[in-house]
Amino acid sequence: MSHIHINLEHVSYSYEKSIPILKDISFTAHENDSIGLIGANGVGKSTLLKLLVGLNLDYEGSIRVEEMPVVKEMLPKIREKIGYVFQDSDSQLFMSTVYDDVAFAPRNYGLSEAEVEKRVHRALEMIHIEHLKDKHIYKMSGGEKKMASIATILAMTPDIILMDEPSIALDPGNRRNLIHILNEFEHLKIIASHDLDMILETCSRVILLSNGEIIRDGDAMEILSDRELLEENGLELPFCMQKVRAYCPGNGKTAGTCPGKN
Amino acid sequence: MDTIAERDQWVNHIHPLVKLVLTLSFIAITVSFSKYDLTGLLRMGIYLIVVFILGDISFRDSLRRLRIVLPLVCFMGLFNPFFDREPCLQIGSVMITGGMISMLTLMIKGIYSVLAAYLLIATTSIEKICYALRLIHVPAILVTQILLTYRYVSVLLEEANRIMQAYSLRAPNQKGIHFKVWGSLAGQLLLRSMDRANEVYESMTLRGYRGEFYYAAKEPCKGKDYAYLILWLAIFGVLKFVRLG
Amino acid sequence: MHMADALIAPAVAATMYVCSGVTAGYSVKKVRLESDPKKIPVMGVMGAFVFATQMINFTIPGTGSSGHLCGGMLLTALLGPYAAFLTMIGVLLIQCLLFADGGLLALGCNIWNMAFYGCFLGYFLIWNPIMKKGMSRGKIIGASILGCMVTLQLGAFSVTIETLLSGITDLPFGVFVSTMQPIHLAIGFVEGLITAAVLIFVYQTRPEMLQGGVEKSDSKVTYKNAIVILAVAALLISGGLSLFASSHPDGLEWSIEKITGSTEIEAGENSAYAAAENIQEKTALLPDYAFKNSESAVGTSFSGVVGSAIVLVVCMGACYAFKFFRKSKK
Repeated sequence: MSHIHINLEHVSYSYEKSIPILKDISFTAHENDSIGLIGANGVGKSTLLKLLVGLNLDYEGSIRVEEMPVVKEMLPKIREKIGYVFQDSDSQLFMSTVYDDVAFAPRNYGLSEAEVEKRVHRALEMIHIEHLKDKHIYKMSGGEKKMASIATILAMTPDIILMDEPSIALDPGNRRNLIHILNEFEHLKIIASHDLDMILETCSRVILLSNGEIIRDGDAMEILSDRELLEENGLELPFCMQKVRAYCPGNGKTAGTCPGKN
Repeated sequence: MDTIAERDQWVNHIHPLVKLVLTLSFIAITVSFSKYDLTGLLRMGIYLIVVFILGDISFRDSLRRLRIVLPLVCFMGLFNPFFDREPCLQIGSVMITGGMISMLTLMIKGIYSVLAAYLLIATTSIEKICYALRLIHVPAILVTQILLTYRYVSVLLEEANRIMQAYSLRAPNQKGIHFKVWGSLAGQLLLRSMDRANEVYESMTLRGYRGEFYYAAKEPCKGKDYAYLILWLAIFGVLKFVRLG
Repeated sequence: MHMADALIAPAVAATMYVCSGVTAGYSVKKVRLESDPKKIPVMGVMGAFVFATQMINFTIPGTGSSGHLCGGMLLTALLGPYAAFLTMIGVLLIQCLLFADGGLLALGCNIWNMAFYGCFLGYFLIWNPIMKKGMSRGKIIGASILGCMVTLQLGAFSVTIETLLSGITDLPFGVFVSTMQPIHLAIGFVEGLITAAVLIFVYQTRPEMLQGGVEKSDSKVTYKNAIVILAVAALLISGGLSLFASSHPDGLEWSIEKITGSTEIEAGENSAYAAAENIQEKTALLPDYAFKNSESAVGTSFSGVVGSAIVLVVCMGACYAFKFFRKSKK
């Protein structure tokens, strides 16, 4: 069994005492997992991701990231290992140029300016946006901003990446680009999204949330081809699955390989 | 504006601190000219002309950008001819009064200083100006705060604009915002801004922020920058203190 | 309300830069003491918010004209006086640089007139005392309107004073004051209403965002702080200005005495008088009007204007030649 990176046991969370957002969540994620976190609006996907990076600490149960409990004292160490890509790139990118923004984390971790430069270049290279290095963030398109956001995370060389709706507001070209980048990233990634086609292409495992609870946790292909399950939970079959069904109506619950994959 | 400031012009590469100091000195010297010293003031225009040409900045473009401000700047001078009717020069049968000249000098001072500030920002981006501020030991809190404001002005302006558009689409025949929704309209934007501030803070802490901002190493002025500064200060000195012709 | 550079003498500008600078330094220290790392991003984004809302036109019922939000008072109610002051500096600096709204030299004045009163007096003398015993709708409306009107009046009055001390416009004091103050009374009222509307919305949706009144024992300290700041500022302003205003004529008299051996010179008899007059005209930081009838001081002759024009044209030619050669070298 590979190294355990994230472990949640009986985690519950509520913003105000009366309204629970997450109820008794337990799962384990390993080194090379790619997990899609799906569910209707407001089921607690973002909240769950935020718990993992310690943005909300008053939860019940136990969360461990890289064997460290998510508590205040451990946060600096945990956050070195885990990168979080916000849904809104404008919140993520607060410096004026791409270079400064990508350099923000390495500088905070006290690296020398030469080392910072190396890290920034490597991160930009991985996303193929070296040409945006000196560009002003407010002048960039949504797609460019999303790529730059991911670069700011990669500059920390994290072991884990969490993403909140990364493909939202991306045009098809940029979305395709994003999928390539996600597939190139070999470490643990957890992606919360409604874009089930993207999940199907990037994740091998899916966790389906409903009303703050885990309904299903298993193979991506299996869950994403289960029409009734998805529709019960405010989702629908990925587009490519619908096509498969249309072509081969006799197919059972598991629809075989998705034409979009590979 | 940044697009102009980022071009690869010779003036754009002068150290930002030098340009900031020069701009302030230029404005201070221009403003301190006597209100009847029209010729002296005119000569100060040398600085503007040289920077406009060396920086390859379009004069017409600058007038277009400043079209709202320039008339306002000129406005204050309009009163002078009424209060100061002392005759001081006669050309043919036209009597030029002190007030007329002081009106002209006041307008020129106004235009010069606005243009000088424009030239600064057209050859130096806001980040570079903030960088200059850091060099003269303006506290990091203030500089960072200015940079953040600058960063989010465009984001929030866009948001404000969207709100205004959504409002005006559903409230035709209205020029501005009706007083009944003053609070909720601006208040919504305020709450959204606060949420954004929160998220920005989260994004910072997730990347190791603990209350301090670190920037790239400071780059001191080079010989070229000093030369540029001293040359101009000398020229200003000559224009101000030496009586030419 | 934004002052332009042309109306202000460098001495006044410098004095106000020092005053605003000292207040900013003190505020930075205070904000640091709070050691709340969240404050910086909040200040930055709220600055942008004030900037953005100033672009929104709020229709004033029954007039057809529109008003804007008053940044200082709003920020001080949300962030407290120190952070609010620093935030306003950012807003004013960016307005000045990007929109030429207010001059670069006059920035110190503008910060003082528009940020200092709104943030500090607005908080310590109005917001805090009124909210000390709990908040309510009525109190928020009252504090906002009162705060905006008072701070705008003070700001407008400061504009008048700074302009007159600079001695650049010929506008008499009475005329200036009697136009500035009533206009800003009306503007202050409208800005107060808009600010109140926004603050009430916040009060109803997220009251924890507002700065509550400080406990009595604490507020005494802050009162003292406000008074100390005001006193220091007054001292700095008056000291700085009188220094500039007095030192130059004195210095000049002294130099005339040295040249001629007498302080009393008759015009025309000695060229030193003309020379001295010339020097004074050129060096005066607060332009002095005593010589304005004298021909030589006017310094404007037809040939002079023509000469200057020639200088400018030659200079332009030289620049173009320089650029031409640089280009051809490339």
